[in-house]
Amino acid sequence: MGTMEQLTLQLRETAREILESKKAAAVIGWEMGTFWYSTAPAILTRPEETERLVWNEYCLNNLAKYLLDFQNTDEKVAIFARGCDYRGINRLIQDKQIDRDKVLIIGLSCPGMKDDKKARELGQNADIPLAKKCEECTYPDALAYDLWVGEPKEAAKPAKAEAKVFPEVESLEQMTADDKYENFAANYEKCLRCYACRNVCPACSCRECIFGNSSKEWSAKANNLSENMFFALTRALHVAGRCIQCGECERICPVNIPIMLLNKKIIQDIDHLFGPYDAGLDPEDKMPLGSFEFTDPEEFM
Amino acid sequence: MKRVGVFVCHCGTNISGTVDCAQVAEAAKDFPNVEYSIDYKYMCSEPGQEMIKKAIEEHKLNRIVVASCSPRMHEPTFQNCVERAGLNPYYVEMANIREHCSWVHPNEKEGATEKAIDLVRMAVAKAVRNQPLQKTTIPVTDRALVIGGGIAGIQAALDLANAGHVVDIVEREPSIGGKMAQIDKTFPTLDCSACILTPKMVDAAAHPNINLLTYSEIEKVDGFVGNFDVTIRQKARSIKMDVCTGCGICMEKCPVKVDSEFELGLAKRRAIYTPFPQAIPNKPVIDREHCTYFLRGKCGICSKLCPAGAVDYTQQDELLTRRYGAIIVATGFELFDYSVYGEYGYGKYPDVITGLQFERLINASGPTMGKLQRPSDKKEPKNIVIINCVGSRDEAKGKSYCSRTCCMYSAKHASLIRDKIKDSNVYVFYMDMRTPGKGYEEFYDRSREQYGTQYIRGRVSKIYPLNDKLIVRGEDTLLSQPVEVEADLVILATAMVAQPDADKLAQKIGIGYDKDNFYTEAHPKLAPVETHTQGVYLAGACQGPKDIPDSVAQASAAAAKACGLLSKPEILTEPIVTEVDEKTCAGCGTCLLICPYKAIDLKTLTERIAGEIVERKVATVNEGLCQGCGACTVACRSGSIYLKHYTDEQILAEVNALCL
Repeated sequence: MGTMEQLTLQLRETAREILESKKAAAVIGWEMGTFWYSTAPAILTRPEETERLVWNEYCLNNLAKYLLDFQNTDEKVAIFARGCDYRGINRLIQDKQIDRDKVLIIGLSCPGMKDDKKARELGQNADIPLAKKCEECTYPDALAYDLWVGEPKEAAKPAKAEAKVFPEVESLEQMTADDKYENFAANYEKCLRCYACRNVCPACSCRECIFGNSSKEWSAKANNLSENMFFALTRALHVAGRCIQCGECERICPVNIPIMLLNKKIIQDIDHLFGPYDAGLDPEDKMPLGSFEFTDPEEFM
Repeated sequence: MKRVGVFVCHCGTNISGTVDCAQVAEAAKDFPNVEYSIDYKYMCSEPGQEMIKKAIEEHKLNRIVVASCSPRMHEPTFQNCVERAGLNPYYVEMANIREHCSWVHPNEKEGATEKAIDLVRMAVAKAVRNQPLQKTTIPVTDRALVIGGGIAGIQAALDLANAGHVVDIVEREPSIGGKMAQIDKTFPTLDCSACILTPKMVDAAAHPNINLLTYSEIEKVDGFVGNFDVTIRQKARSIKMDVCTGCGICMEKCPVKVDSEFELGLAKRRAIYTPFPQAIPNKPVIDREHCTYFLRGKCGICSKLCPAGAVDYTQQDELLTRRYGAIIVATGFELFDYSVYGEYGYGKYPDVITGLQFERLINASGPTMGKLQRPSDKKEPKNIVIINCVGSRDEAKGKSYCSRTCCMYSAKHASLIRDKIKDSNVYVFYMDMRTPGKGYEEFYDRSREQYGTQYIRGRVSKIYPLNDKLIVRGEDTLLSQPVEVEADLVILATAMVAQPDADKLAQKIGIGYDKDNFYTEAHPKLAPVETHTQGVYLAGACQGPKDIPDSVAQASAAAAKACGLLSKPEILTEPIVTEVDEKTCAGCGTCLLICPYKAIDLKTLTERIAGEIVERKVATVNEGLCQGCGACTVACRSGSIYLKHYTDEQILAEVNALCL
């Protein structure tokens, strides 16, 4: 049985071996954070540092995005990857931000992580529920990998997307236009425009985000509802068809905006219009909004 | 210092009938940077253009706004005008106050005037930000490709070749000639179709500037105007073309008989065959699907008999890639499959035939040597019914459009029948008679008056066999009476439809097509033979139903346009193309995926980051391929690709002028 403690040891061992044998110049994993319910991404380059690695029920961060730190190096980087990290890595490969040959994927099977906010609230002895993003997870394991840590796995079957129906999108669709607007306004009135959702997102890899470029005149820096809504909609459309549903944006939002609602609405619409599609399963696949067929539906035209 | 001149056009009463042009010109005087503003009856006319040139000089204007019609109509006119006055042509901005304003709000004069003022306000804001753009040149390959060897393709090729350009005709059938080769006589003159077509076929084959690539299809089209790289699949003919003398012995002894495509199932052909005796090239082809040798590996009679040793069973398809400056698409039409009509027997009654089958039956070189007899029992028909609009003007089962030729060829068929069988009766069921062409109405009159054809206005509701007759039931809507005719033969004037694979070819070439898969011209009046892809032109029925005179006329028009392109060693390209901001481009490649013209590529950029030399990929645009559609600018998340003359800054200036 691989309890998480035992697995942590295996993680450390694997990472040490990789760094010692110079199979990769760095290993990306998790280390303990400030509290018992927090971890932080760890980027390790020396074998002795690997003792810092942990694998526990609060490894909430998606690690994929940290690969971007190595964009300008020629060295290989090893990264621990569950389903969500794996899809994030594919996101970056498909967006041509990293090369597959420069990444050593160490596959993991994820039992689902716990809600750190609930943990802080309820205390260490309480029964802590799963994080929302993990409750909804459909791909807990890395689908392809170079190394595997944990119980040996049967060869994964090629994943196939299924048409998704999200209850929160369904109830949103039931609302009148006015109610939708009110709901939207109420959510985004709170937005601080801290851009944490953007910074954590594996689909956000522009060299210069248009929200950081005031010369383009698209948006102003003012923090008001109109600009916030413009930001929210633009971001939703920029990740449309590419969102890997890791839920990091929503988890990280300091004012608890249900950011995934817009993403899910678009994902559901894409499934409906262009057939079921889960982003980040295969970097070679055809992105529904990054390709066209002459038979594409165009009822909206 | 930007000094804008605003010129408001009345377009006769097209604009001024709705919009108060003087008020628009007056209002424009208060817009930022406007130095001069005036209205005039016809801005595009000589005095109108002179007015602009004079104002540029007198008021030292350096940006021009013309408020008139669509830029599709007169942007080039005004660009040339300001260029002659010494300004960069892209300093002109047009406000479309006709199509976008006066024409759509004819009953709201006040509102329309207000809207026109807003449109001008936006145009002024954009004009101020317009940048000078320079046209560049690209070389032109002096060679044309004609796709389709029917009458339109042949005519276009001959015109181009006579003008001194080298032309390749690609025809997928074993012979050129197309549908016209199957037709007996042509309206409205009743001269023989072959007498017009076959000499042209010979001319094309013998012309030093024309190469025939028969039994060949377009595999792939790359490149852009002046430089199309086209891959052509030359299908294995199984005959060595340079050795075969066309003696025809092989065809006589071939043991296989299958329905002849050319004779529309009314006669048989062999597995080694030429489609018709006047075929060009008059050398056979082996139909590998039916040839015994290819099916069972035995036979080889044709090979044994061939005195020249021209039969080659081992031939393979060959791919040929050539560069062309211009492409003329002349792929013609197909006939509507009337088997969807239960009332006409679902295509199962042997004596219900199509108009084109009738052409074969009455043709002197057809299966009956021109003796009209019905297919079922070879008897001479006495009562013949012709039904118009089978599949045309019928949205329920067929096509919404009129096929344009059927009224005329039905009149021709009626005349030919009455000419051959004096004691026959010919009834034509029609919806409306449409005879708009030179000599067409007179031809129709002759078919009634001279040949005694009986026209019945109404549709046929049912045909059913009774003994050896076909009972045709319909209604005479002029008399409001049911009609019943005991017919020996029924001829259906079936609709002209696009080739079944027209859409696939369009996708290969990158041209548009309509809901019925006919190719779309760039503009019905301003550019009727051009497509939206520069350097690709249309001829004949692939663009829409057309008769022979129209197809030939359009073919010559397309050839003239292609000549205009090929007669210069290089052409100017439109500078309204996209450009990449390499500084912010993340090299994600989304623009590559969605570019319909394959105009974008990734290139490696070497730069110094924090003292280290690093490489990264950025997008780069091929200006020759880019058509300025702007799809990439919308897909780019960081806004790193922009369309010149329609930059974010320019568009936002318009939005701000309107909304702020």
